[in-house]
Amino acid sequence: MMAGGAITVALTGNPNAGKSSLFNLLTGAHQRVGNFPGVTIEKHEGYVDYKDRRITVVDLPGTYSLTPFTPEEIVTRHFIIDEKPDVVVNVVEGGNLERNLLLTVQLMEMEVDLLVALNMIDEVEEQGISIDEKQLQKLLGSHIVPTSAKQKRGIDSLLDHIVRVADGLIDIGKNKLAFSPEVEAAVSKIAGLLSHERALDGANHRWLAIKLLENDAEAYHLVQQHPVWVKVELALQEAITECERLHRTDPEALITEDRHAFIRGAMQECVRQPHTERATLTDYIDMFVLNRVLGIPVFLVVVWSIFQLTFTLGAPLTSGLELLFTLASGMLEPLLPDPMLKSVLLDGVLAGVGGVLVFLPNIVLLFMGLSFLEASGYMARAAFVIDKVMHRFGLHGKSFIPMVTGFGCSIPAIMATRTLKSRSDRLATIMAIPFMSCGAKLPLYVLLAGAFFPPGLAANVMFGIYLLGIAVGLWTAWMLKSTVLKSESEPFVMELPPYRWPTLASVVFQARMKAVMYLKKAGSLILVAVLLIWAASNFPRNGAVDAGLARERARIGLMPAAAEQREVALKQAESTAQAAQLEYSLAGRAGKLIEPLIRPLGFDWRIGIALVTGLAAKEVVVSTLGTIISIGHAGHPGSDLSSILKNDPAFSRATALSLMVFTLLYVPCLASLGVMKKEVGAWKPVILFTGYVLAIAWGLSFLTYRVALFMQ
Amino acid sequence: MKLSELQVGDRAEVVDMSAAQQVRRRLMDLGLIRGTVVKVLRVAPLGDPIEIVYKGLYLTLRKVEAEGVGVRRLDADHAPSPEGGRGRHRFRFGRAS
Repeated sequence: MMAGGAITVALTGNPNAGKSSLFNLLTGAHQRVGNFPGVTIEKHEGYVDYKDRRITVVDLPGTYSLTPFTPEEIVTRHFIIDEKPDVVVNVVEGGNLERNLLLTVQLMEMEVDLLVALNMIDEVEEQGISIDEKQLQKLLGSHIVPTSAKQKRGIDSLLDHIVRVADGLIDIGKNKLAFSPEVEAAVSKIAGLLSHERALDGANHRWLAIKLLENDAEAYHLVQQHPVWVKVELALQEAITECERLHRTDPEALITEDRHAFIRGAMQECVRQPHTERATLTDYIDMFVLNRVLGIPVFLVVVWSIFQLTFTLGAPLTSGLELLFTLASGMLEPLLPDPMLKSVLLDGVLAGVGGVLVFLPNIVLLFMGLSFLEASGYMARAAFVIDKVMHRFGLHGKSFIPMVTGFGCSIPAIMATRTLKSRSDRLATIMAIPFMSCGAKLPLYVLLAGAFFPPGLAANVMFGIYLLGIAVGLWTAWMLKSTVLKSESEPFVMELPPYRWPTLASVVFQARMKAVMYLKKAGSLILVAVLLIWAASNFPRNGAVDAGLARERARIGLMPAAAEQREVALKQAESTAQAAQLEYSLAGRAGKLIEPLIRPLGFDWRIGIALVTGLAAKEVVVSTLGTIISIGHAGHPGSDLSSILKNDPAFSRATALSLMVFTLLYVPCLASLGVMKKEVGAWKPVILFTGYVLAIAWGLSFLTYRVALFMQ
Repeated sequence: MKLSELQVGDRAEVVDMSAAQQVRRRLMDLGLIRGTVVKVLRVAPLGDPIEIVYKGLYLTLRKVEAEGVGVRRLDADHAPSPEGGRGRHRFRFGRAS
């Protein structure tokens, strides 16, 4: 690296080592979030200008190791090998050095330009641990910089060292890592064989040899393609036999044990820890929080609080936003003379933008809550407490919170599955979430249950609907995990990190990132969806209806009545015209087209239209139903939708039940399908899922309708 | 015996790692290797998973996964402390060792 040029730095480290806080401190506001290719792991990249040098910092995901098993490990490894950062900064937690050094040792094996940030140095001092940095530096063969993100210590020193390492100005000799003699012999032999293979010229032969001995799938894949493999395979066989004979284990375990032996030696040489028998705060909290009796109640209270925070606290904000849009709509209305233009701008664009923004308060609040749980250390414990239940359905303990969030809204819930590390767990959870009946479906249940059941029974009916959703969701997850997602089962092996008080800045930062991501990626999809549904309900125009309305307007204008009466008459004429136009529109035709399909469920074409427009958002089902069903009832002012429904011959208890079941289960709103696509990464699973929900919804609604008819 | 068979409060030394490839690798990456002294801290309220501690690491794993770890139970009084240098003292629940 030439002195004076730009520098790329990769931040690596164990989860909970304080890597992200350090990253935020280093790069400040100069950050952007992307994704690593092919995976849904977020890539945080930022830069800092230090002494006229542009230092780009990439925050790699937290890992304990560099074996290519988890997506985090694969991403970290590939970034280091393929992108060749100038400096790799390994962030280690000072108070937990022994465990953190395993990654350090593996980075040493890769022979990268390494710099060790001895982080959380404040905790080290607090605990009275003394670390001989000079000696540790000699053993590791890389510089050590004490840092503390909490106290903002060591940042300049770290930047200074980064520049010096990048410029090759630091040399403290080679590290002192050596494996057992048998392993070393095998490594040298295999590395020698590999160096004769032209095709592997760019590779680090020693590292590749170690990986082969470790039974590393990627290393195997790479070397197997070349003729040298024949000899390498023989050498590997020899090494395996030798290890088995001398150590009663395989080279893979032996190499790991050697790494730990090296670390243990370094710890004994360089680290002095006071031996106190003092229980830490974490111990006391866990005594209470993970208690056999209190564990579940505490967990439920936490989940309940997150839910309340997101939806109850979010409700006034959401209504505030809605009010704002209503006001804006009201202010714009008189300024737009052309009714068509008015409809496009107000019912289309403005409603669409509003439809995107109303989710924002929930998303921000939910992610503030979740990132607090994650950073405080409780998230892992929540998974510990509830894993048994979730595991029964093939899910992970961490699936619980996103699924509960689904009762509020699927969109933040689907986004929240990012806390799940395994792709198969994520997919199964994402596919289960839409069955957790969301808040937008509630108005329809209230309307139908209230209209067709006495008050006491109505609540039970609604409760039953929620239970049905949970059952179908869990069944879906279980079915997926025992068929298509079976092979990818993820072990439940997880650290329970010490409790830490998250900084407000990091909580806000996480929420802001999620909000921006939602607006950018999902927002546009939702906007398009709302506009499409608007267009489908307004086009093609029915000229006769438009002309009729215009005539009616003129007639009412000339009526010799009070202004109020004229106002009422005008509203009625408008709603009649609206219903007629809806019937004539694409959505209306679609409703009529699907009538034969939904007839067996007890639905007529009017319900069909409501269901079609409900694709935009579930609360629309009620409003469309209101519009379309009032045709012919317009002459009876004062009658509310509930009593209109009761008197409508097409509706009965059986229809109501069937419609509730269908609305619960059928295609989630287009917005959540969009977010689902974004999180899953492809359309195909989303399309398959849509087919699946339609089949399930049809089947169960049919069953409900027939049973209910029979019971009547 | 197996790690999954230990009682809450038991200390044991790992003698054999025979879990399935991926679990074994994961556990070894987390420092669970032959010779490591672990202590079973608690069982989740619903009976699974369990929490163990060794070398200052508090780890949770399912019993299924703990089945793949062979251990030798240690006499509680003479065993080295699995909490390591961190010197943490945990309170026991359930059966005392």
